[in-house]
Amino acid sequence: MKNSSYNLVMSAMFNGRKGQRPPVGNPTSIVCHGLMDAAGVSFPEAHLDANAMAELALAGHEVLGFDTVMPEFSVQQEGAALGCEVDWGSRDRMPDNKNFPYEDFSDIVVPNHILEKPSMKVVLEALSILRRHVGGEVAVVGKVMGPWTLSYHMAGTQNFLLQIGMGESQKVIKMLRQLMPVTIAFARAQFQAGADIVVMADHVTGNLVGPYHYKELLLPIHQEITAQIEGPLILHVCGDCTDRLDYFAQSGVDAYHMEWQVDAKTAVAKVGHLMSLVGNVNNPQVLYQGTPEDVHQQVRYAVEAGINIIGPECAIPLSTPMENLRAIVEAAREGY
Amino acid sequence: MEKLFEDIKSTVIAGKHLEIEALVETAVQQKMDLDDLINNALIAAMDVVGDRFSKSEIFVPEMLVSAVTMKKGLDIIKPLLKENHQQARAKVILCTVKGDLHDIGKNLVAMMLEGAGFEIIDLGVDATVEKVADKVAEISPQILGLSALLTTTMPEMQNVIKVLQTRGIREKVKVMIGGAPVDAEFAEKIGADAYGKDAAEAVNIVRRFIGL
Repeated sequence: MKNSSYNLVMSAMFNGRKGQRPPVGNPTSIVCHGLMDAAGVSFPEAHLDANAMAELALAGHEVLGFDTVMPEFSVQQEGAALGCEVDWGSRDRMPDNKNFPYEDFSDIVVPNHILEKPSMKVVLEALSILRRHVGGEVAVVGKVMGPWTLSYHMAGTQNFLLQIGMGESQKVIKMLRQLMPVTIAFARAQFQAGADIVVMADHVTGNLVGPYHYKELLLPIHQEITAQIEGPLILHVCGDCTDRLDYFAQSGVDAYHMEWQVDAKTAVAKVGHLMSLVGNVNNPQVLYQGTPEDVHQQVRYAVEAGINIIGPECAIPLSTPMENLRAIVEAAREGY
Repeated sequence: MEKLFEDIKSTVIAGKHLEIEALVETAVQQKMDLDDLINNALIAAMDVVGDRFSKSEIFVPEMLVSAVTMKKGLDIIKPLLKENHQQARAKVILCTVKGDLHDIGKNLVAMMLEGAGFEIIDLGVDATVEKVADKVAEISPQILGLSALLTTTMPEMQNVIKVLQTRGIREKVKVMIGGAPVDAEFAEKIGADAYGKDAAEAVNIVRRFIGL
């Protein structure tokens, strides 16, 4: 096997043949101030302009040496298309929703031609640009929000969780089902636009909701989603999800992108034979506040544990030092 | 009487928000001791809920609905308390720091503390350093609680503490912090007095701060 970034990532996605070293990937954003400066592109334009978006994603490969390029830096692209008012933030601040258009859990109106909405179209265009630039050389990664995360954006997180606590399962499932087609359509379009892999972020976060919530309310929907998307999928869920890894493995995704709170060795032992594992260098203590030596230690632990693709656990803080991101790549280049 | 007391407690624990009002109203009609009702039924129930949450037996949806249930009960009782009983145990200012709009954790802490008899001044989300410091200077709370979910907003906590020091009011208030990216080490590093890993622990910290 040639040791190209693309080959290493795609083989690792399916726990396949190992090259000289584990690949380094970013299912979530690795944009920090240093990367913006290196690319000459800043937030918020990189959320809204396809060329800027692609340029910044490319810097992850060209400047830092990651084996993937992933151009969706926010979690608001679909929400904006579905009627959320979005504050697109600034160089120092990630975007956020300003309102929740379906707080009353009324029927969600998915706009016709939602893929043509600017916030979604921009991602598809950026993926196509990346495909033209580095297709077949670097793994092009897309990203969609799953229906659970979209429900947070539609109804408000606290409101959505309260309905679950109140036992309003039918109301909750109805909202998830109405949002499911958006996830499917966007993922399929991203593959058609040029993505090799799509990340589905769906925040049934450990410590926030329980494994039983996932099993009852979302697992059947995830199974339907994965059945309708042919390409390779990575599920991203934050928090300590050790207690629900088995359920994730039943969802039909090909890989799970996890945080540091999920111990790499435990995860590999539990589900490593069922799906690939991606991650899980700690953000707040290590990448943001730690040293390259701290990063090195965590990367080597993850590699030795058998994590398939090494990377940060989640979207990194904007003030993360570049040297700590480079340290991930350097530690992975030491090989297996 | 004893059964009604236990029913109220178990109703809060189970988060049966539609049933609590009738039970509390019955308790009031039966002249049940209101302090006892608050402390040993409603608050005691939330202690159980907090403990279950800490052990990951339940999660935020169940905790939220229990908190809502407790609040419905409290809302009936509070106006009936004699004036001298309405004195809060302490004043607590809470906020999510500047740049951060996440407030579930902070809201849970607020509900739990309110239930436990503290007066809450909730400055909401995205609270600037100046806003927090002004409010501390204005009302002299015993405790200030700062929350952040994002790693990007963690430094704001330190900024708040620095401004309190500059204005000479740091020593007059205990500062506790909480939120997904922070920990006890970070609390110590920025000069906070305590870190609470969840709402139940926050209540215990506040109780400890005022010697309860």
